Amino acid sequence: MSESTILTTENLDLWYGDTRALRSVSIEVKDRHVTALIGPSGCGKSTLIRCFNRMNDLVDHCRISGSINYHGKNIYANGADPVEIRRAIGMVFQKPNPFPKSVYENVAYGPRVHGISDRKQLDAIVEKSLRNAALWEEVKDRLSESAMGLSGGQQQRLCIARTLAVEPEVILMDEPCSALDPIATSKIESLIDELKKNYCVIIVTHNMQQASRVSDYTGFMYLGEMIEYGETAQIFENPNKELTENYITGRFG
Amino acid sequence: MGAGHTQDHPSRTQKWLGAKESAIKTVWFFCAIFAVIAIFFILFFLFIDGYPIFLQAGVWDFLTGLSWNPTGTPPSYGIFTLIVGTLLVTVGAMVLAVPFGIGSALFISELAPPRVKAVIKPAIELLAGIPSVVYGFFGLIILTNWIRISFDVPTGESWLAGSILLGIMALPTIISVSEDAISSVPKEFREGSLAVGATRWQTLSRVMVPGALSGITAAIILGTGRAIGETMAVLMVTGNAAIIPDPIWNVLSPIRTLTGTLGIEMGEVAIGSTHYHALFGVAVVLLVITLVVNLLAMVILGRIKEKNMAPAKKRCGMPQSPLPEGRSWHAPVTRHLFWVLTGVVSLAMRAIAGLAGFIVTFLVLSGIYLIKARISPKIAQKIAFSLIVASVVTVLLILGIILFDIISNGLPYLTWDFLTQPPRDLGREGGIFPAIVGTLYLTLGAIAIALPLGIGAAVYLNEYTKEGRMTRLIRTGADLLNGTPSIVFGLFGFAFLVIYLKFGVSLVAGQITLALMVLPTIIRTTEEALKSVPSSVREGSLALGATKWQTIRKVVLPPAAPGIITGTILSVGRAAGETAPIMFTAVVFSQRYLPSSLFQPVMALPYHLFILATNVPGAEGNKYGTALVLLILVIAIYSVAIAVRNHYHKILRW
Repeated sequence: MSESTILTTENLDLWYGDTRALRSVSIEVKDRHVTALIGPSGCGKSTLIRCFNRMNDLVDHCRISGSINYHGKNIYANGADPVEIRRAIGMVFQKPNPFPKSVYENVAYGPRVHGISDRKQLDAIVEKSLRNAALWEEVKDRLSESAMGLSGGQQQRLCIARTLAVEPEVILMDEPCSALDPIATSKIESLIDELKKNYCVIIVTHNMQQASRVSDYTGFMYLGEMIEYGETAQIFENPNKELTENYITGRFG
Repeated sequence: MGAGHTQDHPSRTQKWLGAKESAIKTVWFFCAIFAVIAIFFILFFLFIDGYPIFLQAGVWDFLTGLSWNPTGTPPSYGIFTLIVGTLLVTVGAMVLAVPFGIGSALFISELAPPRVKAVIKPAIELLAGIPSVVYGFFGLIILTNWIRISFDVPTGESWLAGSILLGIMALPTIISVSEDAISSVPKEFREGSLAVGATRWQTLSRVMVPGALSGITAAIILGTGRAIGETMAVLMVTGNAAIIPDPIWNVLSPIRTLTGTLGIEMGEVAIGSTHYHALFGVAVVLLVITLVVNLLAMVILGRIKEKNMAPAKKRCGMPQSPLPEGRSWHAPVTRHLFWVLTGVVSLAMRAIAGLAGFIVTFLVLSGIYLIKARISPKIAQKIAFSLIVASVVTVLLILGIILFDIISNGLPYLTWDFLTQPPRDLGREGGIFPAIVGTLYLTLGAIAIALPLGIGAAVYLNEYTKEGRMTRLIRTGADLLNGTPSIVFGLFGFAFLVIYLKFGVSLVAGQITLALMVLPTIIRTTEEALKSVPSSVREGSLALGATKWQTIRKVVLPPAAPGIITGTILSVGRAAGETAPIMFTAVVFSQRYLPSSLFQPVMALPYHLFILATNVPGAEGNKYGTALVLLILVIAIYSVAIAVRNHYHKILRW
């Protein structure tokens, strides 16, 4: 494998109060590939993905031990700045969550908070991001309309555009299609295929077909543990662990 | 539709059930319509009694006349100075309360760790629970003295004292309504903003606050309404000279408000005289002002609700209609807000050219500066957060000072004899036993009347009807009743119950007046509690063939009970602490014996404290003792309410 590793976790443990949600998870995530996290509900896959950009910091009573290294630097080290990390590691959420602002302002929000105020520059960023999110053609005439009026699938692509606008390296997607219909889902999936040319994408999904369709690497999690992690083809066709095989063949979960 | 065996017994039980159902519905309907009838009655009686003065003095002269001197020769009835007084005190209160209130709301909703939040929220609610007469007492003893000494003036009873006190009293409203508004901005917005690398302050100032802007605006308006309608505290600290401050920004000038005038003069006026009608004219003006203010708040809050409905629909995956709302609405609002704030601040600067003015200006201006400025987001966040923390600390400090003063001074007088003896020597000696009993009678009677009516009305509004003109009318009636100043209830009770129905100054007149006052609170909190029961639960019950009333009684009311109980207890607290509504309807200052019938007058703690504090020199100890007893009573009631709510909050989650 010649491609470079961008994110690694080492013995990552996480507790919500007294509940242990992650049990020494150690994986390596490759740049410019799609990594999927699968597993039954409550296995910790969403918790894990939210560790990568420290969104769990917002959860009360959440404790983390172990490390996550981004380009070799521990993002949980003392002095590491969650704001900087989130700028480099963007996130798309399960439920589309555009701000109650116009389409334009949604995309321009990130650049604005990072200090860009030049209108021309913003225009360029907005257009580029919307194009890269495959949404430009659908919304170019209604940039000033409220984003709340878009369809669910459009809202989700808008959220992806919003993420792209701050030019992150990694895009985390937490079940990005679970609130969408099949057509909108396939649009997002082909978008993911495009995105991996320039970005590292990590996606949580409860849909195994989706994982096998879009990802290059797959991690199977169960009860907070990373049971098996490897190339998608191998996980789906020739899993090493019995638990993985049982899950993939639908015997539980 | 397999009707199965029900067809075998079409019969009596079903008919009986049907009749019972519609009877129950009718009862609830009458409960609901009562609020509307009440507000019309109040308006009607005030107008009947106020009307002669408008005829006699002329509407325009009454409103713009510069001299209020009803006992002079010749008497003059111009309320312009009173209107100006009310406005000045209110504006001053808002200038002080808004920055601290919004700062505290931001702290509670966004910055406070859960454990801190669990302490601060009840503390703020406690601030709301302190009776206004206790605030007035504190203001009279501590605040006016502080002003007198620090500004070196002959008396501290002034516009400034009134504004500070009213500001403190408006704080809880502003804090809790703004906090609700900020907390109800979906947390997905916050996550979305943080996920693109915005700092917490950027997220707060650019996403959360704009999202909650209309709620915050409504909070400020509601706080304003509260301040305009407040009687006792203002009356006790403003000096009550019917003059316009000279120069107009002289905050140390005494001032007189509409409510204060009613509170002072209503007790001594000859019924049916021109002066009497003039006071009702004042009440009408006061009522109109508060109605306008509260309608404004309702319109704004109503618009938020509509706005929040749209995305909520989407989440359920329902087909969406293209929303007409379109352009980003808050950008112009923010811009206007900036200018409004700047205007207010520059006014305040001229007015309060002291330390307070400086601090306020600093807080507001730096807030604006931070939003606009291009300094590093991290430093901006640090400055903003320290300002927010400073505002919370100030609010808590105020609460601490008030509690400390009353507890430390009152505790030595809190003896068994004080609690169980009647007063002697105009309350200087002896105890307050009749006042304690009187307050209990008044409060319990009021709740016994208001509770069934309120719950019935809420059940009807929430369970039996679809949103329509009727429910809107009823709800508006309840909301307007809610915003009506308590002194107006007092006047209504006096004109209708005491005089017209010939009850005389009596326990029952006070109970009914207080019941009217707490009714809207009970209706609205019950409605909220019923709304929080998800409709899926109702559908589940109805799908099993239960009737409407069975469903309500067995699956809707039980989980709503904690909310209803909380609302009721809070109403009890409010009723126990109110002075203005009972002042002319139910109480006497000194009575050695307990009332033996509903038609006798009683003593009551808040009124007793009011008279001791303002009319009885040399009652130092008993004043503090009475204040402490009243405070303990109200705090105990509120603590129970908070405990009930927190207890069920933990068990019950949908």
